[in-house]
This record gives sequence, structure tokens and C-alpha cells, in this order.
Amino acid sequence: MADTMVPAEEPEAPTNRPPAMHRLREWLQRRYVRHILIITVVVGFLLLPLAWLMLAAMNQSGGPASSIMEDIQQTIFVFTLVSIPITAFVFAVLLYSLFGWKGKSGDVPPNNDNPAIRTNAVAVITWTVSSSLLAAFLVVWGLIELADITADSYGSTSATGQPKTEDALVVNVTGQQWVWTFEYPQYDKVATDILYLPKDRPVLFNVTSVDVIHNFWAVELGIKIDANPGAITQTGVTPNKEGTFNVRCAELCGLHHAYMETKIDVMPAETFESFMRESGAGRTR
Amino acid sequence: MTSPVLSPTTGEPASVIFRRDRLGLIFLVVADFSGTMALIISYVYLWSLNVNNGWAPNQQTFGNNDLLKSRSPLPWAADWPFWAILALTLVATIVLWMGIRSMRSGHRGGLVAAAALSTIILIAAIALQWWQITTFPFGPGNGAYASAVFLLTASVLAHLLLAGFLVLAVTNRTRAGLISSDKPFQARLVGYWMVWVCVSILLGAIVTTFMKDSPNTTPANFGEFSLYNPDAPTPSPSASPSPAQ
Amino acid sequence: MSAATIHQVQVPQPKQHGKPGGIMRHLNFFTGLVSGVVLALVFGYVMSLQFPAGALTANFANAAAGPVFWAMMVGWVVGFMGGMGAFVGPIRWLLGRDLTHADAEFMAGKDQGKFRYWRFTTDHKVVGIQYLIVAMIILGFGGLLAMLIRTELGITWMEVFNPDFYNSLVGTHGIAMIIAMIVVVSGPVGNFIVPLMCGARDMAFPRLNALSIWLLVCAVPPLILSLLVGGIRDGWSVYQPLNAQAGPGMIGYQTTIIVFAVSTALASVNIMTTVLTMRAKGMTWSRTPILIYGAFAAAAMGLYAFPFYMYSQILSMTDRLVNTSFFNPIEGGSVWLYQNLFWLLGHPEVYVILIPSIAVMMEIIPVFMRKPLFSYYMAIAGIVGVVGLSGLVWAHHMYMTGWAPQANYPFMLSTEMISIPVGFLVLVVIGTMWRGAFWSRLPMMAVFAVIFNKMIGGVTGVYLSDVPADQYFHGNMFVTAHFHYMLMGAGLFGAMGGIAYYFPKMTGRYLDERTGSIGFWTAFAGFQITFMSMFVAGLQGQPRRVLQFDNMFDISNWISTIGAYVIGIGMLIFLAAIMSSWRSGQAAPSNPWQAQTLDWQTATPVPLENFPVLPVVTKLPYDYGVPDPLAPKKLEEQYDEKVGAPS
Repeated sequence: MADTMVPAEEPEAPTNRPPAMHRLREWLQRRYVRHILIITVVVGFLLLPLAWLMLAAMNQSGGPASSIMEDIQQTIFVFTLVSIPITAFVFAVLLYSLFGWKGKSGDVPPNNDNPAIRTNAVAVITWTVSSSLLAAFLVVWGLIELADITADSYGSTSATGQPKTEDALVVNVTGQQWVWTFEYPQYDKVATDILYLPKDRPVLFNVTSVDVIHNFWAVELGIKIDANPGAITQTGVTPNKEGTFNVRCAELCGLHHAYMETKIDVMPAETFESFMRESGAGRTR
Repeated sequence: MTSPVLSPTTGEPASVIFRRDRLGLIFLVVADFSGTMALIISYVYLWSLNVNNGWAPNQQTFGNNDLLKSRSPLPWAADWPFWAILALTLVATIVLWMGIRSMRSGHRGGLVAAAALSTIILIAAIALQWWQITTFPFGPGNGAYASAVFLLTASVLAHLLLAGFLVLAVTNRTRAGLISSDKPFQARLVGYWMVWVCVSILLGAIVTTFMKDSPNTTPANFGEFSLYNPDAPTPSPSASPSPAQ
Repeated sequence: MSAATIHQVQVPQPKQHGKPGGIMRHLNFFTGLVSGVVLALVFGYVMSLQFPAGALTANFANAAAGPVFWAMMVGWVVGFMGGMGAFVGPIRWLLGRDLTHADAEFMAGKDQGKFRYWRFTTDHKVVGIQYLIVAMIILGFGGLLAMLIRTELGITWMEVFNPDFYNSLVGTHGIAMIIAMIVVVSGPVGNFIVPLMCGARDMAFPRLNALSIWLLVCAVPPLILSLLVGGIRDGWSVYQPLNAQAGPGMIGYQTTIIVFAVSTALASVNIMTTVLTMRAKGMTWSRTPILIYGAFAAAAMGLYAFPFYMYSQILSMTDRLVNTSFFNPIEGGSVWLYQNLFWLLGHPEVYVILIPSIAVMMEIIPVFMRKPLFSYYMAIAGIVGVVGLSGLVWAHHMYMTGWAPQANYPFMLSTEMISIPVGFLVLVVIGTMWRGAFWSRLPMMAVFAVIFNKMIGGVTGVYLSDVPADQYFHGNMFVTAHFHYMLMGAGLFGAMGGIAYYFPKMTGRYLDERTGSIGFWTAFAGFQITFMSMFVAGLQGQPRRVLQFDNMFDISNWISTIGAYVIGIGMLIFLAAIMSSWRSGQAAPSNPWQAQTLDWQTATPVPLENFPVLPVVTKLPYDYGVPDPLAPKKLEEQYDEKVGAPS
């Protein structure tokens, strides 16, 4: 037996078992339980920096530039934190199995004296309840965040698809092999191949394609929607950071899919207005 | 009681083999049901969307379809052939089952006649289906409705051909004494398959009859944009077409 | 009327026409190959006559090429299957010439030596080995393409291949690997092991079994040929309408998928019927080994899912050839229809790969831990839960398509729910490991690798199941890394463990422990390097399926490429171990692992009808270890009441 430290008590009838707390304490005093819990904590702390490292990798190209992207990063951060304990526990069991309970080699099974544990109601119930709670947490968090970013994306629109707030900027995004075109219907339908956006003003995108499916991915703004031929999809965002960001195509669209990317230029609102006046006409509505 | 009929290849009782075959047949029907549902889902999905007003464009031929051109301005196929084919298949199924029932008397002559009659009715259904496919007032390129109807009818044709083969084999095997009152199993398996063929034809007939005008009466119109032009120069942004809102 | 003695019973026989086997004596793989090629050329020539002369000259990118290539594919399929003898059975049935026992024995490959592997042989053990070989060939082909892809991505300063060829590599690698992974566990294990484990003499439908393996063989050449005629340049999912733009190589893909889907549906019917009707006497549902549940679950998912895939490709084919407009938005088609049909298959398919692999792990662990499977009923609940939810989650691949933004809420719910039954399976595994010293052999070590990979794949899957996080990760290298962890990390490494475990039963020899382990762990190390850095590339924001990218992704791609070569080396070593052990490995006894399942109770090599006398089952085959003095006795007693006391 692996756990020689524990006196092998005679199993008792259910009626005169010791109380639950006593049995838990006794269980926690077993050597392998203590070791596995310690390894779990150690592995957990080793995995913990991942939560920040993941965000650091995501921020390499300029960081979150909208509240949507901040929400996304927060979700990823929280999910990492939540999944660390369970991952660490499973890894700890694997590690302890490898180095604590140890393996033996040989041509015949060397280990015929392992305990025949067929099931354990406490373990099963604990595991089921905790994994269900975890899944419930993930679902609830996801639903709330989804409602949140949907409100952010579509908040500037009503059911008719028209901008709700007076000052929402409408941009018609058209994907075609292999360029993006951005058209500003409120500015005499000026069309550009770089996405110019004003800071702190809601933007509504009407996205479509003239040939195959593309995917309009404004990386640092955190929005992504397919550009489908034969359909207009909508999304929206309010940029909250000035700078140059990336648009990439995230759906394989043929020969030069890899090169179907462009820049986003987020500028102050006044600069945007004057820029539009220079490049086309004044604001038409 | 006589001793049970044994399968010549494995030595198991033929009734055991029959139960196994019946289960396998049920699973095959499940798979085929999935396939038929794929066609029905396609039909209903396109019907409900009416993309680019192309569900059933009246008097309009898209693209450059040289294979099967539009023949007339009628947008819809006539209803009655769908139901006539269903009726013929139903009659063939009932006749076959009556033949199987008649074997209870111990003679297999009834099944030979019934299966032969069933084969003839099925050939009539196949001919009618072929006639329907070749005389649709539209080609498969005339919008989504035409495409979906063509595929549904092609699927029916494939099912009927398979059913015809099976019923013909039942006729021949019963005549040769391989299906008889003490081993009617294979005839019954074919009978089950015929029932499923009727159901699959019914599903197609229902959607084609009752789902014609798309519920989406005001679809966004995207016009005729080009799907493929590999030799075109890289388009300049200002030339890009924009969908009418 | 003559009679034959089958298992001590006199069985009347139909008339024997000629020698046993009839025309099947003359048909084999080579006649199939010849007639397939000849018929393909004839059909192609006849179709080319429909077009003006010279229409086919320059290259394959013209109007005539599609129909001609299609006709060739039809010719190949009909010719190959006909030449193999697939149509002989139905025609004999129509004519009333039933098989005799001697015919059936010939069909099962009795006394034909190695040549039975080249025939339309019905013996389930022959089919299992054939599946294994075919899967390994496809895996090798897909692996070679993976090396080319990583080479392109590692050489960041130039385009090694032209983009079209690169896209073809990606698509062909994807679909080849998906096909190989679907058959690499379900094929050999489902066909070789499951009937043995059920205590049956063969599968329920032996001729259907032969049909499904040869349909799979038939499906491979179109896939490889398609690289020569324009390739599959749209990824493995070949989304419409990009699909419509591709050259006639896409017809090769569609042919492959249609034939493969038929093959898989037939194999599913066969496995399910075998499991339901042919389990040994006494093998009740609470005494059935967990692998049988896994194989049944995979077959059940394949059965309802694959027809959708098949029809999505049939509709694509008619779009291309007769100008229907299912997926062409100009004429009323919808690109979302394709995606729905495709992913109605696409997600259950993932579990078709994973569940058998996990079930094999669950067979391995009790044997090598010498402990009962922990919480057998949880394992069943986990498998049933995964199957139940698998059909309700397909649209999580379409979160970002905008087809129905409101549908994202329910699909996110159902997708995250699936982590609960998957969690059950993890509990069963670590519960079986709990407090046990393991027998350190390659199959057991594979379990550690698989659980490690599955945890990482599962946790990253949680991000992808969540719509907000998926808004960043969709179409991103993160997804690629995630599903490689699932399909390769859990699926393929599990298959390698499974091969090591069943190798003695299949070949009569041990898989060489030393070489096999070196190959396995080299591949494992390379796998971690490759896909960990691919996660990083995804987090940085690199899209999938690109051959050039910003300089910021260079470092992670370099590391990833180095890791890929390490995987390649490891896989080659493992392959060498398989081949050398198969030819001249250490001979194994009939039950080398001292396992209790029925498959190990047969002789090795397994005789033609497996069991001279059909076995009777009295208990669950996980009766290892000594009763645990620490466990409350009540549970043991409850268990024994339910399952029957160990005898």
C-alpha cells in the first residue's frame, strides 16, 4: 500500500461512522493528500502568471482601444484565473502519480496490490457539483459580458438599423478579394482604403462583401464580423484611444488572404471632421 | 412446429438474422433521414431568407447556364406530380404489404404477384418522376426554389430506383422459393424500406406544395455582382460597389 | 439439398455455383485499381466529347475541366468498387444465388494467407488491420503536408510556395488529417477489437464491413489527385462561395467526402448493430466494457452527422456542375446554409474522434493500474452527455458570421454545458489513477500525455466557447492550436497509446518499448513546442491560414516550425518501431497485459471465428486490485448488488 502512514482501520458500519468533519480532517492528514494539495498550490502559482502573460501578448500591437476589447480581455483574464485551480489539481494528480505513487516496469503486472476503489460518492458529488458551478459561472459571466458587448456594438443602433444617437458615425465596410473599402455615407460617400475613425464617437459598421466571405477583424478594437456576399451584417464600436491599429481578414478568402489587411487611424473628432472635409465633401447629414 | 430456418452462412436462426437486419435497416433509415432533412432544411432555409430576391425570380435567368435553360416564365412547378408520385409509391407499398400478409396462408404465389405488381407501379412512379424532372418549366439555375426542387426530386428518383431494385429482387427471390412463408424476412425488410421511401417523398411534397412564396417579401437587393474574376486587376477602393440600403 | 456443419449444427445449404467464392476469386485490389483507372479514363473521354475540341488543352482552369474531372471521379468510384467486387453481392441477391457456407468462408479470407488483405475480405480482423494501414498512410500524407506548411511559415522572409499551392496544402492537410483521425481509432478498434470485446464471431454485417473499408480506400486517390488539378485551396471546411471559385480539384474533395461519408455511415450502422445485438450472453449494459460504449457513441454521432456533410458536398457539386444556386447569393442561395450544413457534421465529428480515443484510455488505465475503473457509471454518463449535447452546439463555429446574433446566447450555453460531461471523463481517469502504482509501459505513459493535452485543449476550448473571448480568437491561430491539442494531442496520441496496447493482439508481437517510447516522447515534446508557441501567435493576433504575416509574429512561428520538425522526427521513429516490431518484434503471449476484457481471452493470432465456444459474461471486466480497507464497505456492497459480486 502506498499510504503506510495511515493506520488501516477496519471499515465501520455507516451508523457509527465518525462525523464528517472528523473524517475530512483524517483524510487531509494522509500523506498523499497533503502532497497533492501542496503540488496543486505550487502548480497553480506557477500557472498564475499566464493570466497576465496572455494579456501582455494580446497588447503587443497597441493595446485595447475600445471598451469592447477591454471587456474581452477581462473575460479572458477571469477565465484563466478560474481554470487554473482545476488544471493545477489534475496536473498535481498526474505528477504525484508519476513521482509519488510511482510506476514499476516489468513484463508482468508488478502492482497487483493496488486498492480496488470502485467509486466514491463524496468524490463524485464534489466533482460534479464543483464542475457544474464552474460551468454555471462561465455561462453566466459569458452571457452578461455578451449582453454587455452587444449593447456596446449595437447600442448606437435601433431595430431599424439606423443610427440611434444623432452623432453616430456610419461606415459601410465592403470586402472584396483582397482589399477593404470603407465608405462614409454621412460624408458624401467618401471611400477610403484605410479606416479613419474619430475618437469617442460611436461607429456603426454595415459590413458586406462583393465576392466571397471575408471577416472584418479590427484587432485592437475587439470587433469581428463576417463580410458575407448577399447579406449585410452589423457591428459597432466606440474607439477610446488614438493611434494606428490593424484590420485583418480572419476568414480564408483565396489567393492573397494573407495580405488582406489595412490600418485603422483613430484621431480626435475635430481632426476627423477636417480630414473628411479635405478628402471629400462636408458632412451631408 | 418445424425446426427454425437456419442461415446457410452462419448457422444462426433466420429470425435472429432478421432482427439484426431490421435494426441495421432502422439505422440506415436514420442516416437517410438526416440526408433528407439536409435537403428539407436547405429548402426551408432558402425559402425563409429569399437572398437577393432570388428565391423564385419570375421570368429571369441568372448567370450563363448553358446546360439547362429556363423554358417558360412560370416560377413554380405544378403540384400534382409530387402527390401523384407519392400516391403511386404508397399503392406499391400497400400492394407489397398485402402480398406479405397473404403468405400467412402458407403459399407464396400471392407475394409473387403482389411484388410483381408493386414493381410495375414503381416503374410507373420512376417514369413519372423522370418526366417531371425533365419537364420542369425552369432549369436548375433559375433561383433557389428551382435548385431545391431539382435536388428533392433527384433524391426521390434515387430512392425510387433503389426501391424498384429491391422489389424486383423480392419478386425474383419469392418466385425461386428463397422467400417463403417460413422465411418471409427479406420481403418484410423491403416493406419497411418502402414505408420510409413514402415518408421521404411526403416530406418533399409537403414543403414544395405549402412553402412557395417566401415570407421575406422585401429582401435586400444586391444586384448581380461578380462572384469570380481571377484575372481582374486589383480593384481600386473608389470603384467598389456598395449595396443599396 | 446439401448441408454443412457449422459449429456442430447441420445447416441446409443452397446450391453451390462453381468453386466457393465464385467470381470473387478473381477480384481483388489490383483488378479494382485497373478497372477504376480504365473506367475513369473512359468516362473522362466521353465527357470531353461534349465540349469543343481543344477545350481541355492548356490547364485545368476552364469550363470543360470540371465536368470531365467529375466524370473521371464517377468512373473511378464505380470502376474501383466494381472491380473490387462490391456489386457482386447485390446482383447475386437479385438473381437468387445465395451464399453457401463455403462461399462465406472464402469471403472471410479462409486459407488465403496474406493475400486476403488485398481482397474484399469480410473478416472483421482483416478489416481492422486494413483500417489501421490506410489510416497510417493518410496520416503520413497529411503529416508531410504539415511539414511543408510549417516550412512556409518558418521562412518568414519570403514566399516559399505560391499562395495558391500553400492554400491547397492547408486544405488538403486539414481534410486528410480529419479523415485519418476519424478512422485511426474507430477503424482498427471499432472493427478489430469491438467484436472480440463483445464476444461475437464477426461484425453484424461482414460484407458491409468490407464495403466500408474499400469505400475508404476508394476515397483517398481523389483527394491526392485533387492536388494536381487545382487543389483544395479553401481550408478543410471549403466554405462557399470560395469553394465555387476553386478549380476542379474541389470535385476531388467532394468525391472524397461523399464516398467517405457513405463509408462512415455504413461502418456506423455496422458497429451499432453489432454492439446492440451481438454482445455475449450475460453482457448486460452494466457489464459492458467502456470501450464498447465509446465505439457505440462515436458510431451514433457519425450516423446522424455525416449525411449532412455528404449533402453539403452534393449541393456544392450541383452548384458547380449544373449551376444550381444553393450557396450562390446572386441567385438566392445563402452562404450561411453551407456553414450550417457543414457544422451540423463538424462538431459531432470532433467527438467522433475524441470519444473512442478517451474510451481506449479508459480501457488501458484499469489494466495498467491494476485497479477497477473508477466510477464506471460516471464514465457512461460522461459519454452519453457528450453525445446528447454534441448535436446542439454546431453554431459555436458561427458566432462571428452574423447569421443570427441572437442564437449566440443559447449556443454559448449548450457549448459550455459540454464541459460538465467531459469533466466526468476526467474524473474517471484521475479517480482510477488515485492511490495506485502504475505499470510503466508505453500504453500507460500515453495516458499521461493524453490527459495533459486534453486539459490544455479543454481549458482553451472554454475561451472559444465564450462569445466575447471568441470575438478575439475566432479565425485566429489560437483556434488552430486549440483543435490540434484536442485532435492531435488527445486523439492521435491516444491512438498511438491504443496501437501500443492492442499491438500484441493484432500482430502477436509487442510494440518495441524502447524505440516506441523514444518516438512517442519526441513527438510529444515537439508537439508542446509547436502548439504552445502557436497559442502565443494567436494571442498576438495572427489570423489562421495565412502564409505571410507581420514581423511581430516571427519568433513564435520560428519556434513553432522547429517544434513541427521535432514532431516529424518523433513520428518517424514511432513508425519505425511499428514496422520493425510488426516484422520481428518480441513475441507476445495471447494476454500479455493480463487484462480481463474478452478480447484478450482469445488466442493470438485470433482464429477465423474468434471463439470456438461463445463466452458467457458474469461480471464487469475491471476486477483488479485488492479490496480497499479504507473505503467504506457500504459502497462496495451496493456496487456488488448492482453489478454482481466478483467471482
